Amino acid sequence: MLEILGGLLALAFGAGFIGALSGLGGGVFIIPGLVILAKMPMEVAVGASLISVVATSAGASVAFVRDGWTNLKVAMVLECATVTGAVTGAYLAGIVSAPVLEGLFALMMLQAAYFSLRRIEEEVVPVGDRLARRLDLQGDIPDSLGGGVVHYEAVNVPGGAAVMLIAGLMSGLVGVGAGALKVTAMDYIMKIPLKVSSATSNFMIGVTAGAGALVFLSRGAVPTTIAAPVALGVTAGALTGSRVLPYANVGLLRRGFIVILFLIAIEMGWRALSGI
Amino acid sequence: MATTQVNPEQPSAQVSRDEDRILRVWTPVLLRTILLSAAAILLFGLMLMATTAPGYYVEHYRAVEAGHIHQKEPFAQIAHGALAGDPHSVLTVGLFVLTLVPLGRVAFCFLLFIKERDYTYVFLTGYVLFGLALGVFLGRIG
Repeated sequence: MLEILGGLLALAFGAGFIGALSGLGGGVFIIPGLVILAKMPMEVAVGASLISVVATSAGASVAFVRDGWTNLKVAMVLECATVTGAVTGAYLAGIVSAPVLEGLFALMMLQAAYFSLRRIEEEVVPVGDRLARRLDLQGDIPDSLGGGVVHYEAVNVPGGAAVMLIAGLMSGLVGVGAGALKVTAMDYIMKIPLKVSSATSNFMIGVTAGAGALVFLSRGAVPTTIAAPVALGVTAGALTGSRVLPYANVGLLRRGFIVILFLIAIEMGWRALSGI
Repeated sequence: MATTQVNPEQPSAQVSRDEDRILRVWTPVLLRTILLSAAAILLFGLMLMATTAPGYYVEHYRAVEAGHIHQKEPFAQIAHGALAGDPHSVLTVGLFVLTLVPLGRVAFCFLLFIKERDYTYVFLTGYVLFGLALGVFLGRIG
């Protein structure tokens, strides 16, 4: 028993560690780890990953909420969409076949890679549109030049919610936090400043993954022998990773991780195609 | 970019003091307590498994590897098993406690918005809580 347990803990620790260093989250690495290395069925990997996303986001968000960037109202409005998506996705994950899940996972990897490569243009909207104002979606962030604050508001809530619905659906289906998609919805579509978008996305990931995890747990589709060590290992790895992060060469690491993402996408895509 | 100078000592008018206090003080305390309890239960469960039923662990692992995933048990049976010291039930309880972290966070926000009489957001957070509960229901029937 101890060899299996030790192997799972090491695998999960590594996934959590790399997930924290790359900023992509543990789910992105634990799923291919379990499917490719530990030869686990895709549904098991998805369930175990959702649980560990809940655990890591709970560990990390303690720090994120304190920094004051998280916009609670934006999070709540969009969580209506992500939770709807996640519950639907997690329900469907029990019905659709493994190759479909593997193919969707490969697509999510490509989206995350594209997200890491895109150029960031910050654009702050000082006055939002009618719905955003009705929902009081606004806030202030410190001006990067020092001293003052920059007021921001939001636009295109329906567009952002639509992308969030997809992010939730993917989260429930393939077990990732879908942070890259969430940040895109807020930052690119709703024009919310990037730092606020990232912090709010981290706040939301736990709730989205939690919704999916509850469906999996209630269905009895989360084998305890795998999920328990994976959750513990990923969390420990993520906490260690976030401690090491300030000393790492982030630019170089990111480029390395993008290559890994592409390799994972190719492997999972290949599995999907050969499984159909 | 619209930049306005404000006194940094003065909190932004839109962020109420209650919201601030709950976010900064109580949420982290709540999250950490639930998270640590879940981790403790999971560790205890694994140690219990290693000492009392290592054979079951290996057997279960191999079965899952072979594709036998589903193990839907009534909640009462899980609770009974956990109290009786059955390692599998203890681990299941640990995993459920872990998912209480996000649930607890939304519930906290729900109470906050009720207190602020912000009914738009009471409705929205209520919907999120409903969605989480629906998840449990769908999992049970699905």
